[in-house]
Amino acid sequence: MISFSLWDIVRNLAIGGALTLLLSLVAFVLGGAAGLLVLFARIGKWRVPRAMAQMHIELFQGTPLLLQLFTLFFGLSLFGLDMPAWLAAALGLTLFTSAFLAEIWRGCVEAVPKGQWEASACLAMSYGEQMRHVILPQAMRLAVAPTVGFAVQVVKGTAVTSIIGFAELTKTGSMIANATFQPFLVYSLVALAYFVLCYPLSHYAQSLERKLHAAR
Amino acid sequence: MAYQFDFAFIPDYAGMFAHGLAYTVGLTVAGGAIGIGIGIGGAISRLWNLRPFGNLYRYYVELFRNTPFLVQLFLIFFGLPSLGIKLVEWQAAILAMVLNLGAYSTEIIRAGLQATPPGQIEAAESLALTRWQTFLYVMLRPALRKVWPALSSQVVITMLGSSVCSQISAEELTFVANFIQSRNFRAFETYFFTTAMYFGLALLIRQAMRLIGRHLIVRRPLS
Amino acid sequence: MPLVSTNRLHKFYGKNHVLRGIKLDVEEGEVVTIVGRSGSGKSTLLRTLNGLESIDDGVIEVDGARLDVDHADGDTLRALRQKIGMVFQQFNLFPHLSVGQNVMLAPQVVKKMTNAEREGIARDMLSRVGLAEKFDAFPDQLSGGQQQRVAIARALAMSPKVLLCDEITSALDPELVNEVLNVVRRLAAEGMTLIMVTHEMRFAREVSDKLVFMHEGRIHETGHPQEMFARPATPEFANFIGSLN
Repeated sequence: MISFSLWDIVRNLAIGGALTLLLSLVAFVLGGAAGLLVLFARIGKWRVPRAMAQMHIELFQGTPLLLQLFTLFFGLSLFGLDMPAWLAAALGLTLFTSAFLAEIWRGCVEAVPKGQWEASACLAMSYGEQMRHVILPQAMRLAVAPTVGFAVQVVKGTAVTSIIGFAELTKTGSMIANATFQPFLVYSLVALAYFVLCYPLSHYAQSLERKLHAAR
Repeated sequence: MAYQFDFAFIPDYAGMFAHGLAYTVGLTVAGGAIGIGIGIGGAISRLWNLRPFGNLYRYYVELFRNTPFLVQLFLIFFGLPSLGIKLVEWQAAILAMVLNLGAYSTEIIRAGLQATPPGQIEAAESLALTRWQTFLYVMLRPALRKVWPALSSQVVITMLGSSVCSQISAEELTFVANFIQSRNFRAFETYFFTTAMYFGLALLIRQAMRLIGRHLIVRRPLS
Repeated sequence: MPLVSTNRLHKFYGKNHVLRGIKLDVEEGEVVTIVGRSGSGKSTLLRTLNGLESIDDGVIEVDGARLDVDHADGDTLRALRQKIGMVFQQFNLFPHLSVGQNVMLAPQVVKKMTNAEREGIARDMLSRVGLAEKFDAFPDQLSGGQQQRVAIARALAMSPKVLLCDEITSALDPELVNEVLNVVRRLAAEGMTLIMVTHEMRFAREVSDKLVFMHEGRIHETGHPQEMFARPATPEFANFIGSLN
């Protein structure tokens, strides 16, 4: 048996942690971009894209992330696409993120008072002009806090990708725990690492929320 | 050659699927009921900053909301035995569900309690109700009513999250799916069908929560 | 030919028949005040005029722009709305834009004016309502009365043919009502065509050329305000003015 010092454990976890961070960033950025498309389809005027966007949102919000990853992983392999774990992880989390962000942002668009729509309509603005100049700027202010808050869910969501074999923080932790027979120590360190990543985001989201409420 | 989808195996495994479904429902009901109970206690402790619970709850909430459920589960199932606390898989799964949902409910219910109009509390005080009576008879129901939709969503999220309990061999729905697909080599169909079951279950739980909200919290239709 | 005319205007909210065949003509330069109890359809009538409420039957014509049940698409509405300004009870200023930007936005995006043009117009309109110095302020830094005057300037910047005022003093503290009414009074004196819904009866009597009393979705009585108040022709209107004091 190879013996692990605390330093060995921490060093290996750090590598896993870096991959967790990277995956989170990729999922958040790509998921945000995709979420924007879903949002516009969802709040737009055309019926078919609107229904599709709604289905996308309900499907990914109404099923477990783990099963989404499994289905994606095995579904795409039916088409002869042999997916490496990292790709399935990134793709799955991106879709997952896009659905949640689109729904969060839709809530923000709908939170803009009706009078703003009416006033801009009375100034003869088109739907696109209303959106761009009046509604979205106000919705974006409302959206910052819950969007940052959701970033926490993305970071935590990456842990599930360990199950399809992506060697991020949790997977690394499991392997080390098995090798060292010190599960309590190792998983505590893993939890601590997630906490270090997530707590500042949570805290920032809360302070943004408070600021927004105070400004009202 | 095109792949032939084949869902014909499903009836053969109906019993196993039912077992997994019941297990998942059990985890959700236990986690939901106890978790919301913990949340009510936590919310009032935090709101009034009761010693020592207020602070303990604060650390607990932050800890559980900022770490993944899967890691919490591993820590409980694999980690606690080295402290002499041995739990079998269903106990560990329920404990993790309860603690996780308890943390979220605390914050959700606290927000509801905080939204109590000051006039309500002043009215109760001027009627000589004690602090606890005010909480129990004046604050709690409207607060729960206000946050019930958020609480319902959180229960659904926790139910969906319970699929990772398969990783400690708790025989819930995903565990069953893993087992079946290893037998029939129809991985895609098995997971697809299981995903659909979760989707249906999520709708059912949402509906059940709506009914519970309507009958336990207010005895008249939610306006 | 009247500047604004409606004919056979009908509107339902579900089974509730809120407008029951409205025929209303407004001449250029005329000041028309619509009064009536709440639920009489007066605000709904005003809001149908620029398409904020859809209609179920009838025609609306404003200075050659025409709206009816079969022609109510986005382009038709925008053509109509370019001729009509509207001021709301709740001001509805855009909170993320400064006062100047509020006034300049529509001239910029709808009328495609240049920077200099729209700034010139915005400054003109703001000085017309007495708020030239608030150009760079934000709505939440202004009093309710000031916000409402900015809303009037914002509507005027589109050079509308007619201005609709929907209970524009109802959300104001009593001491702020007059500064807004004074602006409207001046607009009326300058020959602006105005259609108002208001509870300020004394003001309505003073500035209106025509009073319209709405009752149960119909124009129940209409005429010159002084005469109508002196000699109400219907018991409903007599009842209404009786309930005011």
